[in-house]
Amino acid sequence: MMLSEAEDESAVVFPALEREYNTLVPTQRLWNKINDSITEERQSRPFWQKAWAYVSFGVMTPSLVAAASLLIVVGISALMLVNRQQAPVQNAPMTASVRPSNITPPSPTAALPRGSDDAIVPDQVSSVPTTGAYRVERADYRQTAGRGALRTTRVDPPAPADASTVMPGEESYVKTIASLSRSVDEQKDDALRGAERVSFERDMAVVNDAITKMRAEVKKDPKNESAKQVLYSSYQNKIDLLSSISQKEELVASLK
Amino acid sequence: MLPKSKKLIAVLAIAVMTVSLAAAAFGQSQPKPAPMPPRQERVPSPPGEEESGDHERAIKTDAGINLSLCVIQGEVRVNGWTRNEVRMLVIGGSKFDFKVQQKSQRSGDPVWIMAVAQTADGDKMRPVSDCIRGDEIEIDAPVGATLNLKGRDAAVTADGIRRVSIRNAGGDISVRNITDGVTAVTYRGDLMVEESSGAMSLETTTGNIVVFDAGPSEIGDIFKTKTTSGAIAVQKIGHRQIEVNSVSGTVTYSGDILSGGSYSFWTSNGSIKLSLPASSSGTITASYGYGSFNCELPYKLATENISPGPVKSIVGTLGTGGNASLRLTTNNGSISIKKL
Repeated sequence: MMLSEAEDESAVVFPALEREYNTLVPTQRLWNKINDSITEERQSRPFWQKAWAYVSFGVMTPSLVAAASLLIVVGISALMLVNRQQAPVQNAPMTASVRPSNITPPSPTAALPRGSDDAIVPDQVSSVPTTGAYRVERADYRQTAGRGALRTTRVDPPAPADASTVMPGEESYVKTIASLSRSVDEQKDDALRGAERVSFERDMAVVNDAITKMRAEVKKDPKNESAKQVLYSSYQNKIDLLSSISQKEELVASLK
Repeated sequence: MLPKSKKLIAVLAIAVMTVSLAAAAFGQSQPKPAPMPPRQERVPSPPGEEESGDHERAIKTDAGINLSLCVIQGEVRVNGWTRNEVRMLVIGGSKFDFKVQQKSQRSGDPVWIMAVAQTADGDKMRPVSDCIRGDEIEIDAPVGATLNLKGRDAAVTADGIRRVSIRNAGGDISVRNITDGVTAVTYRGDLMVEESSGAMSLETTTGNIVVFDAGPSEIGDIFKTKTTSGAIAVQKIGHRQIEVNSVSGTVTYSGDILSGGSYSFWTSNGSIKLSLPASSSGTITASYGYGSFNCELPYKLATENISPGPVKSIVGTLGTGGNASLRLTTNNGSISIKKL
């Protein structure tokens, strides 16, 4: 009786569980292999990927992002406040202070070679403080307006300054050269390229040297006709040299 | 706590927060595809500027045509031919046209034309700048033609026409077989003239000058050449009035001294070297500063001033005398006369 009841129950239960019993279950060996592969793959991942996964998971929440943003805003405000308090101290020195030295700065004109009336000196000569304690400050490297190149100023020719030093026969040359020099000074920075500028300055120095020497010679011996001839020719060369700049500029302007 | 430490902590905190925010923003953002390369749009030529191309034109002219043009950039070659026609080819440059300035009353053919650049602006052709640009510009002109050329950056070669007048801001100039005068000025470049005649005025600011086989086409034609920075070499010149001037460069002359001629060679900083035939005669006036005077030809010394100083001078008679005069001046260099 009992056996028959048990068989009847089995007949009901086994068909119902047949699907479960017949499902393929991985063997223990397969499970071990799968677990090993997962472990190996985790270990082979680079560190930055692990870190990135952690960070991205941590900050994906909107509330955390909002809190971080708030902190950033507060931090930037604090930084601006700190900078504002220190601003007057930083912006005060517009140039770097230099420790006073024992070297005496040379006079801008003292080192000029004789006859170099076209010598170039910087526009600004750095002032050297003579008093004050030595301290390190932040230099202000902001560039001044205009091109980055060193702006130069042409030193006016020292030759014939007044009418008494102008020798007979050279007045017209001196006047012409003076007027040409003024216009050329404005043009030569733009008109001459690097190599041309070097050639121009060199030739001008050559001509000026000749003028200086010949003037001295003519002053010493006014009857020296050869010296006079060379002097006048040198003046003419200087005029031609200066004129060439203007003529070139005129030519280029006419072609635009 | 020191203010310095406070500041350091504040800066560190801000840096950490900035990095965190950047990381969060980066983590939430979707990976963007790589930007597409910018599409290469064909940029239209600005109004008033012609696209580069090859352009050719020809015009029937008078035999003594005067051709004027200005060139912004390019290599210009001018050749003379026996046809009374001007043909011009611009390779890789602007479109142009001939503008007739004057016609011959006798034949009605143009005697003065200008080659001017033109630009395409819709259907209208309107010139913006007269100046032509191109990689190469070839011109064929009658052998009796006169060329007036202004250039900004042009290398010019002229061959076989009557007269040339060239002013160039930069670029070499080379002319040959010009029959009635050469005026050439370049402010940066070399000058070369060969087998030409007529009055000559050659000037360069930065460059060398070479002239050989030149002579006058009329009595009284002057040969004048000058460079500021460069050497001058002159050979076989038939002019009787010669002025050679260099500010800083050597001056070299090789040729005859013609009777009644006036020869002036000047350099401020360089040597003067003459190669003359043994039969040369004339009056020599040599001035030199720091240098020396050497003459291989026999000469008779008239006056000599070689006292210490910036100027030394020698006046003498070369050969049998004659009425030619040579004036040689250098401030810083030597003077030498050698037998040719």
